Amino acid sequence: MTMNYINNASLLKRQLVVRFARLMFAGELKNKIDLLPLHQAPRNSEAVRCCVHHDRAVIRYRLIALLGFAIENEKPDDEARTLSSYVEEAEARGLERMAGSALTVIDEACSACIRANYRVTNACRGCVARPCMMNCPKNCISFENGQAHIDEKACISCGICAKVCPYHSIVFQPIPCEQACPVNAIVQDKNGKQDIIAEKCINCGKCLQACPFGAIMERSEIYEILRAITNPAEATVALIAPSIVGQFNTSLGKLVTALRKLGFDHVVEVAWGADLAAQKETAELIERLEHGQTCMTSSCCPAYVDAVNKHISNIKPLVSDTLSPMQYAGEWAGQQWPGARRVFVGPCIAKRAEAKASPHIENTLTYEELGSVFIAAGVDVAECEESRADLEATSVGRKFAVSGGVSTAIKNAASAAGHNVTDKVIDGLDAKSLAMLKAIEKVVKPGTFVEVMSCEGGCINGPGVISNPTVARRFLEKMLQEHP
Amino acid sequence: MAKKFKITICSGTTCYVLGGAHLMMLAEALPADLKDQVEIIDSNCIKACQYENALPPFVQINDYLMAQASVAKVVEYLRKH
Repeated sequence: MTMNYINNASLLKRQLVVRFARLMFAGELKNKIDLLPLHQAPRNSEAVRCCVHHDRAVIRYRLIALLGFAIENEKPDDEARTLSSYVEEAEARGLERMAGSALTVIDEACSACIRANYRVTNACRGCVARPCMMNCPKNCISFENGQAHIDEKACISCGICAKVCPYHSIVFQPIPCEQACPVNAIVQDKNGKQDIIAEKCINCGKCLQACPFGAIMERSEIYEILRAITNPAEATVALIAPSIVGQFNTSLGKLVTALRKLGFDHVVEVAWGADLAAQKETAELIERLEHGQTCMTSSCCPAYVDAVNKHISNIKPLVSDTLSPMQYAGEWAGQQWPGARRVFVGPCIAKRAEAKASPHIENTLTYEELGSVFIAAGVDVAECEESRADLEATSVGRKFAVSGGVSTAIKNAASAAGHNVTDKVIDGLDAKSLAMLKAIEKVVKPGTFVEVMSCEGGCINGPGVISNPTVARRFLEKMLQEHP
Repeated sequence: MAKKFKITICSGTTCYVLGGAHLMMLAEALPADLKDQVEIIDSNCIKACQYENALPPFVQINDYLMAQASVAKVVEYLRKH
């Protein structure tokens, strides 16, 4: 399970976003962005990689991704470009530069994990039986200095050697990003560095969470968002996802005030859109079942919808046509405040791709980014007054943040309308659950609503969260008890 | 009876975002023999981040202010004292 354990790579990234946002708030990004790699990795500091220069090179690429660019598009001479020239380009080109996948790989940070998944450890005793060598189908094990040695180029990672070793001295060592990717969209190039195949990628963000080197970055929209909220002439709306409860160890009301302090003019609970989506989806389900369809799946998780489109298109007719809560809330905000920039604030990277294709949302920001922006602006959320969002939701929509929330809402609404519906929750996408989804009509009994969440545990375990999902769930449950 | 350790976890936004969120798991992570000796307080900003070059997240254990705190570091400290 990909879980949000505390991890130095993500903390360093948050620190960098704080520095970036401070410069933006001071109006000095273009003048001073080239100093940020030096400030984040000062000359006499202890390097994380081989030396501070390598650290700085990686930080430079992180800043390029923070400005929204795909690092894959870098031309050879661009290595000599200043970061301020990237700021100028971001300023001039707008969101047009964001075309393509929402994720990007920093080759400079990718450690080019060893292709062969099996390694011989020092526990090897160089025995006489040598079952590893005798049973290797590729003949790629030899003995050097009394220990087995695997030829990485010839090894096909079948695992037989590890299975037959009497001393358990051969270990399985995965390539974390590849192992985490549910759709084989990240592969090694000829230099061993990872590439994301945009046609396959569903932007779920699992590779980003899994990479121990922090080599995978989301292409951020923070530049556009900070520019808009610091511009008094531009109206902005923060559309906060249901999973925001529990991300800042404080109440929703204080968070609403904190967002207004940052410069957002309006705050809308996306859970309101979830309330609406639950109603529409229930009506759609009942109608479809009456027309003889066996089952219908949810459509709120964009990584899942993308997985259907790109990998299991045979079940496309089973996916609900109901829009996601984000889109309903965005549509409402567009009618309420025409022309305002609508910023979805959530845990999700796939939402960025969904928003790009939607007329109802302009930008997306993750909780991690929001947290760093609060620090840069000197806004302490817990010390804010309580205030109310411009549009509030009920507990039905607020439960969409955790696995089972969507299906519970729909089962209850269907039952209130006199229909008995069975529910099934697919909690987390991986190769196995995708195979099951492919044949879902044969798996579930007729009359089933299938909820699919790409992240195990639901949105509270998304790639852009701050809180440990256990803590976030505790908060959400507490809030639902207080505001049933 | 007063507990041996009074642990104040700073939940100011700076600490919380820069690693403090995981300190919310401290109560669950405490070994059984230490549980009875510890009182955990979840506090608003304790203002430790306002010094130059401050290293959040912060935890106050009795009189000792721990910078760059983690669950593992807190447990180790409790064991030694």
